[in-house]
Amino acid sequence: MSTTRETTRPGSVSTSDLAQHDGSGAKASLPSRPRRRGAGWSGRAEIALLAGPAVIVFLAFVILPVAMAAYYGFYRWAGYGPPTDFVGLQNYVVILTDPAFLQAIGHNAFIVVMSLVIQGPIAILLALLLNRRMRGQSIIRILIFVPYVISEVVVGTGWSLMLSTNGALNGMLHNLGLGSLAHDWLSDPNIAIWTLMGILTWKYVGFAVILFLAGLQGIPEELYEAAALDGASYWQMQRRITLPLLGPTLRIWAFLSIIGALQLFDLVYIIWGQYVASTAGTSTMATYMVANGRNAGNYGYGNAVAVVIFLISLVVALIYQRFVLRRDTAGALTERKTR
Amino acid sequence: MKGMKLLTGAAVLVLGSLALSACSGPSDSSSDSKVSMTLWHNATTGPGAAFWKTTVADFEKANPNVTIKVQAIQNEDLDGKLQTALNSGDAPDIFLQRGGGKMAAMVQAGQLMDLTDKVSSDTKKVVSDASFKAETYQDKVWAMPVSVLPGGLFYSQDLFKAAGITEAPATIDDLSADVQKLKATGVAPIALGAKDAWPAAHWFYWFALRECSPATMEKTADSKDFSDGCWLKAAQDLQDFAAQNPFNDGFLTTSAQQGAGSSAGLVANHKAAMELMGAWDPGVIASLTPDQKPLPDLGFYPFPELSGGKGEPGAIMGGVDGYSCSVKAPKQCADFLNYIATTPVQEAYYKAFNAPPVNTEAQKQVTEPYLQDVLAAYNKAPYVSQWLDTVLGQNIGNALNVAVVDMLAGKSDPKGLIQAANDAAKKG
Repeated sequence: MSTTRETTRPGSVSTSDLAQHDGSGAKASLPSRPRRRGAGWSGRAEIALLAGPAVIVFLAFVILPVAMAAYYGFYRWAGYGPPTDFVGLQNYVVILTDPAFLQAIGHNAFIVVMSLVIQGPIAILLALLLNRRMRGQSIIRILIFVPYVISEVVVGTGWSLMLSTNGALNGMLHNLGLGSLAHDWLSDPNIAIWTLMGILTWKYVGFAVILFLAGLQGIPEELYEAAALDGASYWQMQRRITLPLLGPTLRIWAFLSIIGALQLFDLVYIIWGQYVASTAGTSTMATYMVANGRNAGNYGYGNAVAVVIFLISLVVALIYQRFVLRRDTAGALTERKTR
Repeated sequence: MKGMKLLTGAAVLVLGSLALSACSGPSDSSSDSKVSMTLWHNATTGPGAAFWKTTVADFEKANPNVTIKVQAIQNEDLDGKLQTALNSGDAPDIFLQRGGGKMAAMVQAGQLMDLTDKVSSDTKKVVSDASFKAETYQDKVWAMPVSVLPGGLFYSQDLFKAAGITEAPATIDDLSADVQKLKATGVAPIALGAKDAWPAAHWFYWFALRECSPATMEKTADSKDFSDGCWLKAAQDLQDFAAQNPFNDGFLTTSAQQGAGSSAGLVANHKAAMELMGAWDPGVIASLTPDQKPLPDLGFYPFPELSGGKGEPGAIMGGVDGYSCSVKAPKQCADFLNYIATTPVQEAYYKAFNAPPVNTEAQKQVTEPYLQDVLAAYNKAPYVSQWLDTVLGQNIGNALNVAVVDMLAGKSDPKGLIQAANDAAKKG
């Protein structure tokens, strides 16, 4: 596996090497920057002009709200008038000891893991299938990708109608003589989260497939030809060539999937509404935040929940970038290594 | 140059005369200038939406200087959106007011117009003091009542007959027996829109009304302390009642009012025999029948009595729907509120919503037997309580609503229900 990567990406180093060369060693090998003419005021003006709007938007709509949420989170505040009742860390104590929130974290974790385990293999197989020349290829591609394009509200409403107790799915099962398979897909707490996983898979697998297809396009044909000459079978080629070279795409997809699963809100909110997600066992951290913040009118508490979600997502994202994505982001987020 | 001077002179003259006319005379200046207001209500479809359009158009015709922008908001979204709008200082001028703890919070935040002296004497003649009492907080009136909406059970007389039930149940034991009879006919005995939480919680609130004395109810509304044994007993009663599975399959994800699959829709389409609701229900059911006409065999009976409870027999729970003015609204807002309390508008309201109007003259127009029964039960009741989730305020009310759903779904028990209400106090 590692041999393949090193042949295709000369200059890239294995993780163990990276660990050793981390820090000063890497920096020392940087070439000195060529001095640009006009750097100075005009250069800075250029930077300010180009980056300014983005920085302002980022500060106003990302950093400021986070800071505001952190501020409100220290208050008991019903949302009317400015907050006055400072309670320190009390909100955080209640959040982290509330079984309903811990259950919501559990549901998020379940969805994170299951999304990777279920969607990954399905998407890889579909991408491999669609990467071959065959009849009806474009139609299949569209069919797989359409669910991803449809809005969450439409998807949620549609599925909740079809899966309700007297809905289309149970009706079909009864008419096929399979009435024993009919279930309360949405309201039985033992099943509901699996129903949610099914809908999530249906909706988001198309996105993974498109990503993987793009990744597959980037793998040079010669490698397969050479492997074929050496007598490798189809599956050997996929295992030894495709999967390793698809690595960067897989890792980015997994990252997006994890973050999406941690912040999952809309589908749950549409299907289970404002109140019963926790009863049905499908609540997420975000639905908990809305239920206990906005619905209950406890805006201080809700903001504290938002901060907790932010920290959890941030930590997960940083850890993932640090340990999984570092090879892929080298040069973009960190200084580029010399080749 | 000359032209310029002339123009300037003319402009000065015009401005001066404008200023003069604005200051001159005792004529009411604000009634001359154009006023525009926004109105938020919760009737998104059918005759209810049409009622507000017509009413506003008629008011605008009589008051040409006033324009009112009408916006219908889905009932379950209304409270949240309203609070956001109030907090952002962008509140609608006129909006639906549910009273209770929510109204108190708005008053405390200085967001409502005091209507105490703005209710016209004509209005006072036709709207009872009792109705105004529901819109009163700290001895001041904060909303114009438009409809009295007591709760009880709305049922299909045909389905009851088909199950061999000749008389509406008077006690919980009768009701349990009827549930079994209805089950035998294959319909869902009771429709329950637990997805919206409050319809499930109403069952608990009604049991509490039967178990708890009026004094306890009022004390708890203030202290939000549920330690009196009657609350736990009410929760236990509900759990026992629910043990016979009286509700429709999948009630957890059944909504209250949206579409044929909702609890009102199940009653409207004869898939369920009854539901516990407020007096707005006939209108909601009518909008969900196949021909969108009122359900012909709809009947009403009050919540059954419970032996051994401390509640007053015949006590009733219900809300008074009203409309408030934002504190920033122009004074014509109060004129509009007086207008919607007039007898012709109230009659139109009753016809559009199929709900009992607050105007006592308009109440005489009520012909449907089920609404007459509702009004009879309401007028006879020795004690009328507001909906408990409204009384207890958003935080506790919301927590209690969800806690009842948890218990009905088997995730919690009566003790857990009471505990959840107590725990909510920590969050807000």
